[in-house]
Amino acid sequence: MKPPNVAGWLVVALVVAACEAAVRLLDLYDSVAAPTAAFGALVAGLASGELSGEIGTTLESYAGGLALAVAAGVVLGVVLGSSRVLQDASFVVIEFLRPIPAVALIPLAILFLGLGVPMRRFVIAYAAVWPILINTLYGVRGGDRLLHDVARTSGVSSAGRLVRVALPAALPSIATGIRVSASIALLVGVTAEFLSPGTGGIGSYMHRQQLAFQLPELYGAVVLVGVLGYAINVALGAAERRVVFWVGEGRTGAR
Amino acid sequence: MITRRLLGVAVFAAALGVWETWAHAEASFLLPPVSMVAERAWQVWPTSEFLLNVAGSLKRLAAGYAIGAGVGVAVGLVLGARRGARLALEPLIEFLRAIPPIAIVPVLVVMLGLGDGMRVAVIAFGVCFPVLVHAAQGVRAVSPEARDTAAMLHVGPAELLYRLYLPAALPSIVAGLRVALSIGLVLVVISEFVGSPDGLGYYILSSSRSFNVPEMYGGILFLGLLGYVLNRLFLLAERHVLFWHYGAAGEPVR
Repeated sequence: MKPPNVAGWLVVALVVAACEAAVRLLDLYDSVAAPTAAFGALVAGLASGELSGEIGTTLESYAGGLALAVAAGVVLGVVLGSSRVLQDASFVVIEFLRPIPAVALIPLAILFLGLGVPMRRFVIAYAAVWPILINTLYGVRGGDRLLHDVARTSGVSSAGRLVRVALPAALPSIATGIRVSASIALLVGVTAEFLSPGTGGIGSYMHRQQLAFQLPELYGAVVLVGVLGYAINVALGAAERRVVFWVGEGRTGAR
Repeated sequence: MITRRLLGVAVFAAALGVWETWAHAEASFLLPPVSMVAERAWQVWPTSEFLLNVAGSLKRLAAGYAIGAGVGVAVGLVLGARRGARLALEPLIEFLRAIPPIAIVPVLVVMLGLGDGMRVAVIAFGVCFPVLVHAAQGVRAVSPEARDTAAMLHVGPAELLYRLYLPAALPSIVAGLRVALSIGLVLVVISEFVGSPDGLGYYILSSSRSFNVPEMYGGILFLGLLGYVLNRLFLLAERHVLFWHYGAAGEPVR
């Protein structure tokens, strides 16, 4: 257990206090919310259940989209990574689709799927699938040839080799891909909500507070999204250390 | 090699063929045939109106990227070199970088209005953190021997930064800059969704809102192409700047 980082939290407290003082002394209420007001609004929003509902909607599309991306990315990555021909065949299509920013697909996805959760799930999955697919592919390709040969001579079928040799070998890369995807997926998800006002979700809530000029509520929501993003990072990091415990620090992955 | 490339191109062409026939069979205005998208792109892309949108996006990307990368490198180098500074700023930075940049868009709209200042600030915010983190990691990875040698030679702090930390961290910084480039492009689009008079994000959103579906597809394709070209140019520049790194680190020269 690390000792608490006193200096770090002191700096956070100082910055918050400086903001509070600046807003009060320079009378910036028209453009910035004071931290105390923002925290007050955040607590009130959580207590009334309004914000918890919005978070629930955000997490619903986020979890669904990320799960889709993991499923599609891992399956495709394992299949493509273990076959030279399939990889060559899909190369141009992947290199064509991958650079398209998922946020640019939001207007298109709205036309097809409407403003609700399915649209958000789709764009989140599109954003998140590429790092997972690419990392899985490289992880499978980087696997030990010898293990494959041993498994084959021991009579393990090719499907069995995919699941029992290639997949475990690729697990650390898959974990890296998911970690990279997680934050871009949150960005895309909240953006999709921001662009579909009135349909729930924390992004839609922020849009509403901005139009209504409710600055404390708006800043409270920013803090909430930051905490959410931070919690996701920490949770994924912890899950990664537990699942691929055999991998040390200092690994890198394709992005 | 050639045949492998050809296979990829053939599959791509087949995919376009499937799109074309599907679109004809479906006859939905949401899914125009690829030939219609290409035709509209051929007409629209060379117009000065479209090129002004491209120029607007590139201008914002350049400004936001330059500011974000500059701040990221500077702060990252200091945080990497000074343990005290790193500990003091870690919680604050960890929190700020967990905020998806879209969340600060409404905040900046209230603060800075709907102009380009807001857009550049959003892009710089998103670009800054990956660069910062990579720069700090790069400096921390400097070998203790090099640090000790520099200390023994009484190298001053400015020289230390410039002649040891910066070159040592450069491969890592460049990796961060490449991650930041694609994030920057995403943020250009997002920031142009909000009250922008021009830009590719504006073009895509306004085409979709006026149901100019082929134009919208064209805009999305153009963005994909732009992202691809920018990444290629970056790799080219990277190879030029880091030629010594690939040789020395025993990695294959790409």
